Amino acid sequence: MARNTRKLPSPALHSQRTLRVLGTDISLLEAVRKRASSDLGFKIEFEVLDFPNCQRKAALNPEAYDVYDQCFHNLAIVWFWGALQPIDTAWLSCWSKVSPLTKSGGVDKYASRGFGDAPMNKLYVQPDHSLGAEETQHIAMLPAVHNFDSFGYDTRVFNADCKQRESWGMLFDPRAKGKLALVDEPAIGLFDAALAAEAMGALHFENICNMSPVEIAALFKFLSAKREEGFFRRCWRTGQEAAELFRRGEVAIQSMWSPAYNELGGSAETIKDAVPAEGYRAWHGGLSIARHVTGPTLRMAYEYMDWWLAGWAGAVMARQGYYISVPQAVTEHLSAAEWNYWYDGQEAAEDLLGVDGETVVVRKGARRSGGGYLERARRIALWNTVMDEHNYATRAWIRFVAEVNGKSR
Amino acid sequence: MSEPRARLTSPKRYELVAAVLRSNIASGGLPPGFVLLEGPISSLMKTSRAPVQAALRILEDEKLIYRFGGRGYLVGRAEAPAAPMRRDIGKLGLRIPNEIGTALQNRGLWERVYEEVETAVAACLIFGEFRIIESELGDYYGVSRTVVRDVLGRLHERGLIAKTQSSHWVVGALTAQSVRERFQVRQLLEPEALRLARDRIDLERIGRVLEQERTRNPSTHGPADGTQLERALMDSCILRAPNGHLIELIRQNQMPLAAASRALTKLGLPEDEIAVTEYLMLFELIAARAIDAAAVYWRQHLKALAEKNLARLKIVAVISDAQFGVSYLTPIELT
Repeated sequence: MARNTRKLPSPALHSQRTLRVLGTDISLLEAVRKRASSDLGFKIEFEVLDFPNCQRKAALNPEAYDVYDQCFHNLAIVWFWGALQPIDTAWLSCWSKVSPLTKSGGVDKYASRGFGDAPMNKLYVQPDHSLGAEETQHIAMLPAVHNFDSFGYDTRVFNADCKQRESWGMLFDPRAKGKLALVDEPAIGLFDAALAAEAMGALHFENICNMSPVEIAALFKFLSAKREEGFFRRCWRTGQEAAELFRRGEVAIQSMWSPAYNELGGSAETIKDAVPAEGYRAWHGGLSIARHVTGPTLRMAYEYMDWWLAGWAGAVMARQGYYISVPQAVTEHLSAAEWNYWYDGQEAAEDLLGVDGETVVVRKGARRSGGGYLERARRIALWNTVMDEHNYATRAWIRFVAEVNGKSR
Repeated sequence: MSEPRARLTSPKRYELVAAVLRSNIASGGLPPGFVLLEGPISSLMKTSRAPVQAALRILEDEKLIYRFGGRGYLVGRAEAPAAPMRRDIGKLGLRIPNEIGTALQNRGLWERVYEEVETAVAACLIFGEFRIIESELGDYYGVSRTVVRDVLGRLHERGLIAKTQSSHWVVGALTAQSVRERFQVRQLLEPEALRLARDRIDLERIGRVLEQERTRNPSTHGPADGTQLERALMDSCILRAPNGHLIELIRQNQMPLAAASRALTKLGLPEDEIAVTEYLMLFELIAARAIDAAAVYWRQHLKALAEKNLARLKIVAVISDAQFGVSYLTPIELT
């Protein structure tokens, strides 16, 4: 494909066409779809699935979508299924502005790189078509939405007034026995459990993001014992489920995703977003193009990707606690109070609204847990990861989750 | 226990085929100049082509048959050539000694069961650990405990199953760790075997493969078959090293990798097209008799291949546990 074919202005042609995007509810919000469609002048369809199903469909059925909006760690699967095509960075106007977190592995040279699948290691398409950190003109995924996750806990159960040290080990604190939930995704929830087991001193991993079969067996033995002791309440797949578990008081501690904090309603007062001493479990989302996409649809895919990083969408993401890979573009679309709270870690100067533009999700005077963007981005313990033993671990994980959820119902 | 216990130590199939051909050459049933072709022999002996190929090579080494300009081998010695005689071997009324005939038939049953069990085992080892229930296996195929034990014994020999301390047969999960370790062993052994095989390489076959691939038209012949190229490399080069013990180690080490790879391809996992061009590069080096360079190249290739196999294994995770139609394999829980 010649580079000079890029960005032909063809709205009349586009208006009859549809771009199909497959992803999760992390980024595929209805408000985003409407605005993108009106800004770009073509129809956009979103197909929203949970993580495991989204990944399976992307790998096995690439004809069913044009753009794939998911996380870097699952490129280990979807890319190697041959479902995606390299993205030519020369065709992207936003590429030079993308932050160093994905291009060089950290927000600055002092930032912790973290264990596991740092996006940098999966960013560039190498000459043999594998993915690596060696810079080339082509990338597998355009970095976009990301965050640094931890867990949330009920301060009434944990006496947070005492300013206790927050650690992943709290997941298995006996005070929360029977009220623990984990996110059901083996490249995510498994690491919350592993961080907890290691923090408690129950297990030691040589490389927590690349466990050996023996270490995996030990982890599942540990989890199985905890399940039998009655620690687990549930494993969930969407942020809404997580929020509901807190709202109903069914759990006292669990894996958490940022938007779920905005949906806690009255429980928000007592639920705290932890800043674990060990660091965050980071993840990075992005956009990829399906293998089959060519011609005008390919052009639409590139326009859509540039649009994502142009600022408006990043501002929407910020209101649910997520960061975007070109933060400076977001400033024009957030109020000063919003930017100061979400990105800068300052006290909210006023009540802040959520993505619906109506609901107050942050009260005046509140401060984001963990501080500003740089502060949080420097404290990465590990990244969501598809380990070498992912297949082996996934099968054990599926059985474990079936046991937890089977008994909680 | 009416069946002879000697099966595992009984002659190999290619030895039986060689014995039949040898005795008929000696008796004149197969006259000098008769053209021996793999296909007709394998239908006559009710076996696959591989044992026939091996039998023909043995007879060639024994100078009972020789290659000529055409397809197949001619009976007799190359120094005293006879005009090629092309007739249907099935109509020659060859004498097949009774004991050999029976052995071939028994072996047929044994091998069919073995092949099916091997396929089932290979298909499940990517989904975790499984136990094999001996009695169920016998019932499933309607065969005696002796046959079951022979089949399991062979699977064990080939490194596909193991016995636990409590004497249960288990299919170990194919983990990334075992893939990595087996590829390390390949890197240690195979380039060295290639060096040792230096003077015994079937250059003619390598030449034919190269010629075939150079002239391949993907639109009419389809894409190149990596598995076939690998087989050509193994049979015509690496496994020709004059060290039976080394060859056995190489075969045994490869078995689970090859079995799993076939199972993954069956599940629809994409094949690696780049590997094909790498095989051809290797064959070019071998054809040019640059064996040391070929050995170095093969080691590098195996290193890259290990990484690709690891990536391929990860992506299996999106496939749900297969519903095994076989009652004799039951999953073992990790916890």
